[in-house]
Amino acid sequence: MEEENKIGSQIKKLGFWKWAVASIIFRLVLSYFSENLNLSTRPEVSTPLTSLRRLAEGYWLKQLSMSPYSGSMYHGSPLLLSVLGPLTVKNIIVEYQLFGYSLVSVIADFISAVLIRATGRSLVAAHGHNLKSLGLDKLFKDIVEILPSGDIAGLVYLWNPFTIVSSIGFNTSPIENLFVIVSLYGASAGLIPLAAFGWVMASHLFLYPLVLFIPVIFLLGYGLDGPPRKLFVQSILRGEERPADHVELNSLTNKPIKTTFSWRRVILFFLWTSIWISYVLVLCAIFMREYGGLGEMFKRTYGFVLSVEDLSPNIGVLWYFFAEVFDFFRNFFLIVFHVNILFMILPLAIRLNHRPCFLVFVYLAISSMLKSYPSVGDSALYLSLLVLFLNELAEMQFSFFLFCGYVGVSLLSPVMHNIWIWRGTGNANFYFATAMAYACFQIILVVESVSAMLNYDRKIKKLCNIPKV
Amino acid sequence: MAETEPVIKPKPRPIIRIGLFLISHSLLVSVVCCTAGIVALLLLPVLAKNTYVSENALMPGSARPMLTNDDASDGHKFLNRILNLDSKPINTGIEIPEVIAEHMMELGGEVSYHKFQPISNKFHPLHFFLGPDAGIIKENYSCSSYGINTVGIIRAPRGDGKEAIVMVTPYNSVRITMGEALSLGIAYSVFSLLSRVTWLAKDIIWLAADSKHGEYAAVAAWLRDYNTLSFGDLMLYQEMCDASTSPVHEMIQVKGDVISNGFRRAGTMAAALVIKVADSSPEFGNDVLNIYAEASNGQMPNLDLINIVNYLAVHGQGLQVRVEKIWSLLDSLWLNSLGKLLELLGTVVKSLNPQWKFGIPVSDYVEGCATLASSLYNQALGVPTGPHGAFRDYQVDAITMELSPTLFSSSQRVLFLLRVGRLVEGVIRSVNNLLEKFHQSFFLYLLTSPSRFASVGVYMIAFALLISPLPLVAAALFSDASKLKTAKDEIPFKPAPLGEPVPIFTSWKWLYAAKSVLAVHLWGAIVTLLPYFLSQIPNSSPSINLLIWIVLSLLSLFFAYAVSGSFSFSSTNQPQINEWALLKSVTVAAAFIGLCLMSVINFATAEIGALLLVPMCLTVVPLRLDVKVSTMRAFLRGVCNVLLVFVGFPPAAFLLLKGAIDGFDSVTFGDFWVWAESLWAWNSATYIYICMIHLPCWVLCIHTIFHRC
Repeated sequence: MEEENKIGSQIKKLGFWKWAVASIIFRLVLSYFSENLNLSTRPEVSTPLTSLRRLAEGYWLKQLSMSPYSGSMYHGSPLLLSVLGPLTVKNIIVEYQLFGYSLVSVIADFISAVLIRATGRSLVAAHGHNLKSLGLDKLFKDIVEILPSGDIAGLVYLWNPFTIVSSIGFNTSPIENLFVIVSLYGASAGLIPLAAFGWVMASHLFLYPLVLFIPVIFLLGYGLDGPPRKLFVQSILRGEERPADHVELNSLTNKPIKTTFSWRRVILFFLWTSIWISYVLVLCAIFMREYGGLGEMFKRTYGFVLSVEDLSPNIGVLWYFFAEVFDFFRNFFLIVFHVNILFMILPLAIRLNHRPCFLVFVYLAISSMLKSYPSVGDSALYLSLLVLFLNELAEMQFSFFLFCGYVGVSLLSPVMHNIWIWRGTGNANFYFATAMAYACFQIILVVESVSAMLNYDRKIKKLCNIPKV
Repeated sequence: MAETEPVIKPKPRPIIRIGLFLISHSLLVSVVCCTAGIVALLLLPVLAKNTYVSENALMPGSARPMLTNDDASDGHKFLNRILNLDSKPINTGIEIPEVIAEHMMELGGEVSYHKFQPISNKFHPLHFFLGPDAGIIKENYSCSSYGINTVGIIRAPRGDGKEAIVMVTPYNSVRITMGEALSLGIAYSVFSLLSRVTWLAKDIIWLAADSKHGEYAAVAAWLRDYNTLSFGDLMLYQEMCDASTSPVHEMIQVKGDVISNGFRRAGTMAAALVIKVADSSPEFGNDVLNIYAEASNGQMPNLDLINIVNYLAVHGQGLQVRVEKIWSLLDSLWLNSLGKLLELLGTVVKSLNPQWKFGIPVSDYVEGCATLASSLYNQALGVPTGPHGAFRDYQVDAITMELSPTLFSSSQRVLFLLRVGRLVEGVIRSVNNLLEKFHQSFFLYLLTSPSRFASVGVYMIAFALLISPLPLVAAALFSDASKLKTAKDEIPFKPAPLGEPVPIFTSWKWLYAAKSVLAVHLWGAIVTLLPYFLSQIPNSSPSINLLIWIVLSLLSLFFAYAVSGSFSFSSTNQPQINEWALLKSVTVAAAFIGLCLMSVINFATAEIGALLLVPMCLTVVPLRLDVKVSTMRAFLRGVCNVLLVFVGFPPAAFLLLKGAIDGFDSVTFGDFWVWAESLWAWNSATYIYICMIHLPCWVLCIHTIFHRC
């Protein structure tokens, strides 16, 4: 206990801000060398969707008053083009060409970390609050000190090698991550317009965050993560049986735990979402007026994502499969692969409806595994969200195995690529093997974390059912 | 709670049960696996298969050699002219390229000069991961240091100019030797034949490489310019270095329309042959052909190329073919007795069932072992064994053929030119038949003799057996360390007795160990980069450099310890009982990942590294534990640990190995620095392996040995 107290105090002493600033400096130093590191050409870092080189090409086409989508180079949103496009050309103010963009991605990373921290703080507060209202806080306090998981998660996000690599590798995944986190933060803090904005932008830019709709609604409807809601009902009932306890409980809890779904906030969320969607669509329509309208945009962005047109190698599993599959079956397997994500949504939503933030993590992990053009930036996001649940996942199994697997795969993958492309002694199977291993590790991570979370819920349930002495 | 409601543990899945079974018997399994791995390595010469030509299109030896005596005597005349040129006193080193170019032109080839500057060997250890051209910066050179390659190209009458075969003859333009002149003569006679034949489908490039700055540098410079958008350095530097290039300059003006001063190219290269003639004659009466194939980072050319050269040399021209071997192993007693044992085993097996072919004669086995050891060592070094190494960086299959002739009179020389010329002609004719680039046969193999090889499928078994205990032991240690805690953790929901620390986060405890392992590996990166600064110190001897390197590494290690100690979350003043077990478990896991990674990059390095690293990592236990127990077994274990750790230190291992092979009186302290310098100068991944995987694991083992517990 003393030791753990020490840990907690040391983490507090460690200082979030000190380390955050250090990570920013580290990034800026690395981005100075980024021309030599040449990370933007690595398939692990930049995908056809997120590559900044493609964005620069699209911007250039646009400057020549051609459609930015001509030539199948650019596949992102037109809004991104008009915001980030000017940063990709040489200008007088900054001598170094892409410095502007690396600054943007560093700032995006920093804001993301701060928002993760804020989310984590409210999660920890909710955690303690829930325990108190269940009357378990005394039991837990003797054993466990609640770690400031928000601070740790923010630092993990900032210092994760995946984040660093994708931040200095000139791609737009830091921005994607930022919007996802904005939406999560908005929903957990009850800022409905912000949540709607983050969700709409993230889904507009990168399509897959669409599935976050369900957890965001749960977050707004039920509030932050907590033990299953029927436990509260039971504990309140039990509290009524034992008046003395009840008084104590009431004195401790500031407000009663919400067990009902608040429809008002959800409807507000719908309202704001429709406002933001129409706003974004209008902007896009204005942009695309001369280049074929919104239909063209949908075809070139979402169509490109869904039909897996670009089969250049990446760390996902789809490129290899669709390079091998007969054209005749292509459509069938496209449907199978995409429905795979959708299949998992409903059961998980039912099982984990009391833990919407955790549900966000699970959805992000699953979609980054089955996505058509994944990059390491996606795993950077879900790994730091995982750390938010440090207190709940303390008993997670295979953590060491998973850690070794992630390290091994992320080192092996560039080597296999080198052997295939540069040395010619390997072939595509070598590289794909690492991609499969990576997918397997992600599956194990999801399975183990979900089962650890459910075990934690079971434990709490058992503790609640023990008659208190 | 535990008493009231006994937890019903669900039966784990079969795969997990197998895993648990293996983990619980990890000691036995690891001993068996390690022994099996070493035995499998020693069995490789027995398991090696005979080579065969895998690509049908090659058809070696199917055509009658067309090289006649006339071609050979032409080559001899050319050779004499070059030798006479050399003996003239007013020799500036420029004439030989001129003469070669003249002869090439007479034969109807297109000729161009390629001027190059040697690129000094720099420290760029990450070169491996960035394509072949990264990080080369042009420097200011003095004009006199130019080398001039002469390049002659025969356009194929039946080809489309998209593919080419390269012949390389390195020679020193300042002082040409008899052997170099002979190799030029061979190339000339082949070139003269090929300029007449009608069957050529691929262009022939003859590169007479100026080896004034080393053979490799000349070939590498030419290849770099061939594969990049360069238009020849000659044009660029003509004004700058007018004086020194004047003879070439004149010649260009005289025959300007024939000799191009630009860079001439043919198509992509299908294969390259480097022809060298050694000056020393062999001890036997027969001409000997030595084949060198190892390129950078243990890459090998396609086995088919070696096969056709071997086939044509042995069956066509009756040459004796050899690959490098470690001679001192041939007389070693234990290898001979092992060979005898295997031969005996082979006869026993044969008497049981005549169908089973197992076992080879003792001499074959010993020779196979010596060749295998040399093959492993050369691949592990990652330093190319000849100019052919430059080709492999561009995915061109190439070998060096070094001939040791027995010749005295000029008629014998002509005969020699005829034989070798026919061999080269045959190889070129075979490669000429190729429709695609070499892909049928193996790229990953070890040679046990010129005609026997162990492919990746066979030698991987030895390696896999050797490293398979690592994850098992890591898992076993990890689960033991966790179990000890969970035993305490059984009563987590009762108020803890005062003073007894109740651990939580049992499944995350390894993070502390992982942190120190990470810190040590980061320290390894610093050690890797230190020589970059040390090599800038002028006029220092290797031993002093090595000393500074070691001292600086130690200082940075203490610094790393201090830094990681100050951030350490666990209280260091009361070390946990099984802290070392977790640390060892993480170390073993890191060693496993590192060895797996290295086996993909350079198998031979990983194999040799595993032989040193695996026993050390597996046996290491804190000495204090051994001292506490003080039984015979514990004492033996302690001694064994100390010995293994001593041998595991890279400089110690290197010096011991060198001493064992060359004799201990020739070994000096600075040798390791020289060796390491050669590794990084050649961009060998072995250097990175030693500094970033082997050394950190060794440091962690030391840490475990001296752990307080």
